[in-house]
Amino acid sequence: MSDDASLQSRVCQLVADQLRQPLEKVTAEAHLIDDLDADSLDIVDLTIAIEEEFSTDDHQLEIPEEDAAEIRTMQDLLSYLATAGVS
Amino acid sequence: MTFSDRSADERVVITGIGPVTPIGTGVDAFWESLTQGRSGARRVPELIEAGLKVQIAADIPSFTPADYMETKSARRMARFAQLGVAAARLAVADAGLDLEAVEAERAAAVINTGGGGVTTIAQQSEVLNEKGPGRVSAMFVPMMAGNMASCQVSIELGLRGPALTSLAACAASVYAFIDSRRLLLDGEADIALAGGTESNVSALGISGLANMQALSRRNDDPEAASRPFDADRDGFVFGEGAVVCLIETLQSARARGARIYAEILGGGRSADAYHITAPDPDGDGAARAMSAALRNARLNPDQIGYICAHGTSTPLNDAIETRAIRTVFGSHADALAVSSVKSMTGHLMGAAGALSGAATALALYHGVLPPTINLDTADPACDLDYVPNTARDCAFDAAIVNGFGFGGQNGVAVLARVDD
Repeated sequence: MSDDASLQSRVCQLVADQLRQPLEKVTAEAHLIDDLDADSLDIVDLTIAIEEEFSTDDHQLEIPEEDAAEIRTMQDLLSYLATAGVS
Repeated sequence: MTFSDRSADERVVITGIGPVTPIGTGVDAFWESLTQGRSGARRVPELIEAGLKVQIAADIPSFTPADYMETKSARRMARFAQLGVAAARLAVADAGLDLEAVEAERAAAVINTGGGGVTTIAQQSEVLNEKGPGRVSAMFVPMMAGNMASCQVSIELGLRGPALTSLAACAASVYAFIDSRRLLLDGEADIALAGGTESNVSALGISGLANMQALSRRNDDPEAASRPFDADRDGFVFGEGAVVCLIETLQSARARGARIYAEILGGGRSADAYHITAPDPDGDGAARAMSAALRNARLNPDQIGYICAHGTSTPLNDAIETRAIRTVFGSHADALAVSSVKSMTGHLMGAAGALSGAATALALYHGVLPPTINLDTADPACDLDYVPNTARDCAFDAAIVNGFGFGGQNGVAVLARVDD
């Protein structure tokens, strides 16, 4: 599995757990609000869960509120994490 | 026998009971445990691991929120709200009521509590201290707020009338009966889901109560720890759970052919104005609440056959409650039966009054008195008929339900049997 594929599957699993959605619905194309039934509170808690999942002792991942507000689809999220250097 | 000369649209009755308690979930299991004298207390692993002085409680390890709501909804609720939603759903089902047939704007939720989401506050405080402010859940405030049991019941069941919450410690859900009855009599709602919920069996909650010296320390024998009115009582057993009742007018109940457990004839309240935890030593506040309840229900003391006591199993409460009962009922105190269901369920705080009210409604309906278990050794300061250890067949017509809270808040509801 490539790093990208591994990252994607970890993120999808985490989103599925956090939003209590079946994993098969959490595709790269899925919209968090329209497809996965999230609201703004869910997205805040989702970003917190992602920070915790992808922070290491050497690198603390922090997703600023203004960035979190832009994340609306799984693709947004995956791109954001790739840009932030998460692997 | 009918005590009320009021017309059927001015009488308020209980037609559904939803218990989620340490001795059973659903009305059948709850009533069976009450009449069999079963204890819901146990040694709780979390309390043992934390090395607390008190390691026993009456919790509900089998409670599964997903049986009553979407897991996504459950994730947004603290456990006290989850328990409240479950109890509300059970009450509606038990009443055989089709909620779709009720005008949603005329349906109220009155779910009271003692502490609300205290455990959520504790958890998120840890997150704040250990991980920093950025990690505190966006759900924190809407999970921990005490009003959320009422709000979640209104959201989950689609009730669009008033949603109310009183925080009144151990009297809280006696207040729910009193206030719901008034909502219906004032014409503000046609039905109400009325009750209480509490869930704070945690290292934090138990430590606070243990350090108050309010809790029994009988760690080696949890089922014998709650022993109201017994000479060897040493404190209460903290419990969790929710009890919600469906309340409607007698007219509405009869129109839909509903089974009627009991009528809520009235209620009374008072404040001790004395101390933050200790009851007034003369039982003055408790006595005034009982007298006010009888006046409000237009009953004389000698018309009461049963008292569902506050009966916590603390040395002070049980003696003072006994004294207060003697003050109000005089010589009739020796003719009536008194029992404490907390001997079986533990003390559910904000849910305790609704639990006692539900037990009393069932006692009226079945003509059976739930016992006070673990009553082995008489205490000279507790000299009433407490229905010791075994349930008793006893047809009676009216009862009072006592709830006396920390802070000196006292609530008493009056229930009566309804003939078909």
